[in-house]
Amino acid sequence: MTAIEHVAPRAWRETVAQALLRGERFGGAWASGREGSLAWRALLTSPQGERVISCQANERQVESIVDLVEAAGWDEREAHDLYDMAFPGHSPLRALAAHPEDPAQWMTPVTGDGVHQVAVGPIHAGVIESGHFRFHVVGERILAVDPRLFYKHRGLERAAEGSNSEQALQYAQRACGACSVSNTLAYAHAVEDALALRPDRELRVNRTVLLELERLYNHLHDIGAICAGVGFAPGSMAFAALKDRAQQVNQRAFGHRFLFGSVCVGRGGFELDASSTDSARGAIRELHADAAAAWRELEFAGSVQARLDGVGVLSHSDAQRLGAVGPAARAAGIREDARGTSPRLAYDGFTPASPTAAAGDVAARLRMRAIELESTCELLEDLLRQPLAPGTTTAGGAAATTLGVGTVESPRGATTCAVELDGARVARLHLRTGSYANWPALAHAAADNLLPDFPLINKSFELCYACVDR
Amino acid sequence: MNTLAALVQIAGVALAPLLPGSIQALKARLQGRRGPSAVQPYRTLRRLWHKSAVDPEGTSVIYWIAPPLVAACMLATLAIVPVGGHAGPFGLGHDALVLVGLLALARFALAAAAWDTGNGFSLMAAARELMISVFGEALLVLALLLAALPAHSTDLRAMSVAAASGHIWSAPAHWCGALAFMLVILLETGRQPIDNPDTHLELTMIHEGPLLEYGGRDLAFLQWAAGARHWVMLILGAELFLPHWGGFAASLGLLLAGVTFLCGSLALIETTQAKLRILRVPALLGVGCAIALAGAGMWVGGVGT
Repeated sequence: MTAIEHVAPRAWRETVAQALLRGERFGGAWASGREGSLAWRALLTSPQGERVISCQANERQVESIVDLVEAAGWDEREAHDLYDMAFPGHSPLRALAAHPEDPAQWMTPVTGDGVHQVAVGPIHAGVIESGHFRFHVVGERILAVDPRLFYKHRGLERAAEGSNSEQALQYAQRACGACSVSNTLAYAHAVEDALALRPDRELRVNRTVLLELERLYNHLHDIGAICAGVGFAPGSMAFAALKDRAQQVNQRAFGHRFLFGSVCVGRGGFELDASSTDSARGAIRELHADAAAAWRELEFAGSVQARLDGVGVLSHSDAQRLGAVGPAARAAGIREDARGTSPRLAYDGFTPASPTAAAGDVAARLRMRAIELESTCELLEDLLRQPLAPGTTTAGGAAATTLGVGTVESPRGATTCAVELDGARVARLHLRTGSYANWPALAHAAADNLLPDFPLINKSFELCYACVDR
Repeated sequence: MNTLAALVQIAGVALAPLLPGSIQALKARLQGRRGPSAVQPYRTLRRLWHKSAVDPEGTSVIYWIAPPLVAACMLATLAIVPVGGHAGPFGLGHDALVLVGLLALARFALAAAAWDTGNGFSLMAAARELMISVFGEALLVLALLLAALPAHSTDLRAMSVAAASGHIWSAPAHWCGALAFMLVILLETGRQPIDNPDTHLELTMIHEGPLLEYGGRDLAFLQWAAGARHWVMLILGAELFLPHWGGFAASLGLLLAGVTFLCGSLALIETTQAKLRILRVPALLGVGCAIALAGAGMWVGGVGT
């Protein structure tokens, strides 16, 4: 249903610039096609809806838009590495997915008196995903940090090409464990968007429950992770226990702690009878009360609170400029939440929350999660009042097209999936997760902080590496 | 009595790792985990002792001499610190300032070894350690000074005896000294809120950092030295600042009670307090120094004595 507007390569920058002037936001860009006819597409979003613009990449070249939209930086760098594309105007075009030996090809150049580098990872002392961070520091102060990801690049997008839409869902699912519902649901929405299928009420409720269950255990985990970041064991233990209880709800109701296999294309993947929803609802209500109590404890732990204020600040304008999404953006005062604009889900009357003091620091991001935990629990308690039927989709009157886009609010922010169909086959699958959008913001927020505070700042964003690596 | 004290001091060599072990075990229970048992450090030492050492490329004698040197320093401090006001004739004397020097030498050896390996994390942590020790050593000296003033001597045995009488507790200087020394204990044992012994986050390490390159027997030396540091600091804390009166046997019993109390306090502090922001640590130690100086002023001015 999402139409592609073809733009002449010459008019590419102009089209983007005008869209931005009209208030549209950049939502991701991806290369599509094979040798000879490679196209470069960008998603533009506005409260009225989404549109995709596309231009032919003659000789694998498209003019860069990174000076207009800084958020497109990683998209262009990735396409350069994976599709061998060139973006005149994006200079220096530093490597992202590729890992060249020469540091000058991927690092921000930082020179000066007393500046030295600290290299961390990709192997860490704890159980952390594979990522390398190169810090430029003076003493304990961080001047700049370059994250280097893609250590576990599995080529899932390429692998999915040519499979049918049900098979391709498996690839989207395996991008990341902790975001499996968000990723598969964004994918399912994209396919249904292309095929002009509309979900019925049951399916919308069914999927909303899944998405919120995923948010529940992720947010509980993330709050615990921040406690671990400041070495506050009672907090990290309490929230680890709560997270496990949330995952036990998943296990009992859906047979999988990470909710794998619960999303299907075009129909619901499960049903829950009255006794299952009752027991899940009861467990969540208890969890809700216990999480609120644990949060109060944290609010009154002075030594924890003393660590949070003014650390890792992401200002409102920087969040906007870098295209930050999710709790990180809302903590910086950007009241945007894909849940508020999700006609395919059951978020009727949802308004995005934002903390009263949107300082954009670690404290605000932590508080943001606590606020969202509250609304997530309330929503789940409400939606689980009745048994869940699997639900289905109906043809929505419009003609099927070859391109579909789906966006859902993952625990880390808006996750977008674009799918291009070739008959029954998937010709291109592109997944741009909330983590992908937020990594540049994290790197920016870390600058000018103390090196020993970086783990805390990192945990306050708690971004996935696997979602980015794909 | 001196022979008996010497035996207790020698037993300290074997018992020292039990202190960090029991703090960890107690802490685990306080945090709602099962955790390793109190004898875990012994298992670790046995495992490490049977492994070969690591010899990073490009390192010199400084790297491999540091672990035995640190262990030797701690062994010497064990001989210097009296138990129950008595100590064996080990021929090293019992001067408080020698203790300060030995601790500084151990610290310097590790920092030099970190420099020798050139490992980023080791160096970073060693730099932090030295930065903090600028304040920490001042605090240690001041706290010891407060214990030395009533004894008119820096002999640790005399200091212990001077602190044994009940009337010392009416002197505010003694309370100031106790508070300052508690900070010293937190710092020297590498515990929260100053350092986090459980951290896996390389970027936040202080005491653990210089140990990163070591393995096998070298690491066993350093792990034992960490245990010995707990032993020396807690014994000293109990000897100089906690009540102990009566004969030698009673003093030994109260020493045991005092060390147990301090272990419990460390576990409790570590459970209830998050780690401080690193640049706040000097300020905390500075406050400790101010308290100690105020105590010294009050003693000299004759307040409460």
